[in-house]
Amino acid sequence: MAAFLGLVGIWTVVDSAGLDPGFSDQVVAPAAFGFVIGSSLVVLAVLLAVATARGDRAEGEAGEDVDLSSSTDWRTLAGLAGVLGATVVLIDWLGWAIVGALLFAGAATVLGNRHWVRNLAIGAVLSVTSWYGFYVGLGIPIPAGVLDGIL
Amino acid sequence: MTVVVGWTPDARGHAALVRAIAEAQVHDERLLVVNASSGTAPVDDRFAGVADVSQVRALLDSLGVDGEVRQTVVRDVGDALLDIAEEVDASMLVIGIRHRSPVGKLLMGSTAQRILLDARCPVLAVKA
Amino acid sequence: MDALLTGLSMALTPENLLYAVIGVLLGTAVGVLPGIGPAMTVALLLPVTYNVSPSAALIMFAGIYYGGMYGGSTTSILLNTPGESSSVITALEGNKMAKTGRAAQALATAAIGSFVAGTIGTILLVAVAPTVADWVVVLGAPSYFALMLLALVAVTSVLGSSKLRGFISLALGLAIGLVGTSTGQARLTLDNPLLADGIDIVVVAVAIFAVGEALWVAAHLRRRPLEIIPVGRPWMDRRDWRRSWAPWLRGTAFGFPFGALPAGGAELPTFLSYITERRLAGEHRAEFGKGAIEGVAGPEAANNASAAGTLVPLLAIGLPTTATAAVILAAMQSYGLQPGPQLFEAEPELVWTLLASLFVANTLLLVINLPLAPLWAKLLRIPRPYLYAGILFFAVLGAYSVNFQRFDVLLLCLFGALGFAMRRFGLPVLPLIVGVILGPRLEEQLTQALQLSQGDVSALWSEPVAVIVYVVIAVLLLGPLVLRLVPGRQGPERLEDEVEELEEEVRS
Repeated sequence: MAAFLGLVGIWTVVDSAGLDPGFSDQVVAPAAFGFVIGSSLVVLAVLLAVATARGDRAEGEAGEDVDLSSSTDWRTLAGLAGVLGATVVLIDWLGWAIVGALLFAGAATVLGNRHWVRNLAIGAVLSVTSWYGFYVGLGIPIPAGVLDGIL
Repeated sequence: MTVVVGWTPDARGHAALVRAIAEAQVHDERLLVVNASSGTAPVDDRFAGVADVSQVRALLDSLGVDGEVRQTVVRDVGDALLDIAEEVDASMLVIGIRHRSPVGKLLMGSTAQRILLDARCPVLAVKA
Repeated sequence: MDALLTGLSMALTPENLLYAVIGVLLGTAVGVLPGIGPAMTVALLLPVTYNVSPSAALIMFAGIYYGGMYGGSTTSILLNTPGESSSVITALEGNKMAKTGRAAQALATAAIGSFVAGTIGTILLVAVAPTVADWVVVLGAPSYFALMLLALVAVTSVLGSSKLRGFISLALGLAIGLVGTSTGQARLTLDNPLLADGIDIVVVAVAIFAVGEALWVAAHLRRRPLEIIPVGRPWMDRRDWRRSWAPWLRGTAFGFPFGALPAGGAELPTFLSYITERRLAGEHRAEFGKGAIEGVAGPEAANNASAAGTLVPLLAIGLPTTATAAVILAAMQSYGLQPGPQLFEAEPELVWTLLASLFVANTLLLVINLPLAPLWAKLLRIPRPYLYAGILFFAVLGAYSVNFQRFDVLLLCLFGALGFAMRRFGLPVLPLIVGVILGPRLEEQLTQALQLSQGDVSALWSEPVAVIVYVVIAVLLLGPLVLRLVPGRQGPERLEDEVEELEEEVRS
C-alpha cells in the first residue's frame, strides 16, 4: 500500500513538473496543487511504511454483513473481477440489455447462487426494464448495441 | 446404522422428523437430524434458532431416541445432506417435500430431486 | 416563515410528494438491508439527476438520508448487527429489549424518537441555516479557502481511528480531483482525451461506495444466518412514553450541534446521549445493560437530530461532513448548483422546498414505518448474491449512463478496486470523496483570493474569520498531540476508548 501511494505521489509530482509555468495571469500555477498533493502523498507513504514497520497493522473495515474472522475469499473476488472485466470489454458491442443481464447473472452465480437459469432470467428482466426505464422514464437513450432496432 | 433426516423448523421439516423418528425406533437405529442453510440471506427461516433446536433435542430425549442435531452452513444444502449421509453411512435419508409446478421447478431448481437422484442410500420423501 | 409556507406548498405537489415517498421507502429499505447504506444508495441514484428536476431529486435524496438513519435502527434492534457506528449504541439496549420480548416498544421509541428529533432538528435547521448563510455570504475568498481547509482537516482528523490513514485517503482524493484540464493544461491525464474533463464524480462516488463495498463484502461474507426476533406492530404504553420523552429531547440537544459541526457525525452524540441517560436513569439504572428504553430513545433521537444538523453546513456553507452529505453535494454540483450561501439567494424556491420536504419526509417516516416494521424485517430474506449482484448491476449502469463510454466502466472498475483496497487497508472513504469534491473548489478559491491580492500570499489571512478558522485547524491538528503530552488529561482519547469498548460489547 505504501509503495502504491509513493508511486502515485511521485507520478503526481513528475506530472506537475512537466507543466508549463502557466499563463501570466494565473497567480496559482497549475503545477502548484500537484506539487503539494504529490509530495504530501510521498511523505504520507513514507510515514505509513514506518508505521507498518513499527507494527501498526491496518484494520479491515467492519460492517453489518462482514465477517472479518474469515480470510479473504480470493476465488469469489477473482470471479467478480472476471465478470466486471468482461462487462468492460463487451458493453459497447453487445449493448446494455445483454451485458447487464450477463453481469447480473454472472455476479450472482459467482457470489454463490447456482441456479444460473433463474439468475439469467432475473438479469434479463432487470436490464431490459432498466433500459426502457432510462429511455422512456429519464429520456436517456442508452445505446442498444447489437440489439439496435429490436428494442 | 443411522437414519439421517433433513429437518427445517416448519411443517415440512416436522413431518419428515416425525417419520424419521418412527423409522429409527422401528429399526432401533441412531437418528441424525441435519439442519442446513446456504447462508445466502442475512436471515433464513429454515435455519433453526436455539429454541427450535433444543425443542427437537427434548423431543428425542423424551422418546428415548439415540439422536443428535447437527447444524451446518454450506454452499449447497442438497450436497451437504448427501455428504453427511455418506459420512455416517446412513441406512436411510428422510426428507420433506412440497408440491412444485414445472415452471417453478425450472426457475427455482429442486433440492429434493437432486437428493433423490444422487443419494446412494434409500431416500424416504415425506409430504407435509 | 412565508418562504417556508411557499416551500411547503411546493413540497406537497403530487410529483414532489411522490419522490419523498420513494426516498423514504428506499432509504428505510437500504437502512434495513445489511451492507447497503444511504451514501451508496444516493450514489447509485445519481443518474436520475440527468433528467429529474433538482427539487424532486434532492427531496428524494433527503428522504433516503433520513430513512436510512431510521432503517439502521430496525436492524440494530432486531438483529443486533449495527452497521453504521451511529447505531451501535442503539443495538446495545435495543437488542436486549427485543430479546426480553420488548421489541415492539424498542421499535416504537426509536421511530417516534426519530420523528421528534428529526422535526426539532429540521426546525433548528430552518432557523439556523439562513442565518449562517447570511453570515457566510459576506465572506471573501480567503475565508472560504480557510473554511474548506477546515472541513477537509476536520473530516479527516476527527473521525476515524487512524489520522495517518485519514490523511492518506484525503491526499488520494485531492489527487483524483486534480485530473483534467480545468487550469488550462492537462494534469494527470496520461494524454488521454477522455480524461481531459476530469473524472466524473458520479463514477468515483459509485465506484468507491458501491463497487468497493460490494467487493469487500463479497470477500468476507458472513455466512451463518442470524436469528431475527419476530415482531408485531410497534407500540408503547403510557409508562414507556413517560420514560422516553425526556431522553428524546436530550438526545436531540446532543445530536443537532454535533451534526452541524464540520466534524460532525453521529457517533459521538449517540454515545454522549447514552451515558447521560444512564446517569440520569435513577430507579431504572439497573435496567441498563439489560434493555432500558431510555438507552434506545436517547441515542436514536441524537442520531436523527445529527442528520438534520449535517444539512446546516451542507446547505449554508457547501461543506459536506458525512458520506451521504458528500454524495448529495455531488448531485447538486451535477445540476450546476453551487451549494453554499449563494444558494439561498439564487435558488430560494429550491432551498425552501427542500427544507419543507424534510418535515414531510419525517412525517412520512413515522406514518409509513410504524405499521410496516414486520414487512421491513422480511427484506432480510433476500439472498445476498442477488443483493450484491444488483448493486454491481446498478453501479455499472450508473457509470455507463454518464457518457455511454466503456472507458467510464473501466474507471469504475479501477476505482472500485481502490475502494476495496482502502477497506482492506483501513483507509476511511469519507476523506477521499470529500477531497475529490472540495479539491477543485479549494484551488478555485485560492486562485480568486490571490488574484484579488495580485499574488500577495498574506491576503490569505487578511480576513479575521480566516484567521480564526486557521487557529481552529491548528487546534484540531495539534490539540491531540498537546493533550497527550500533558499527563492525566487524556479526555478525548478516553472517550474514544470507551466508545470502542461499547462497540466490542455489542459485537460479541
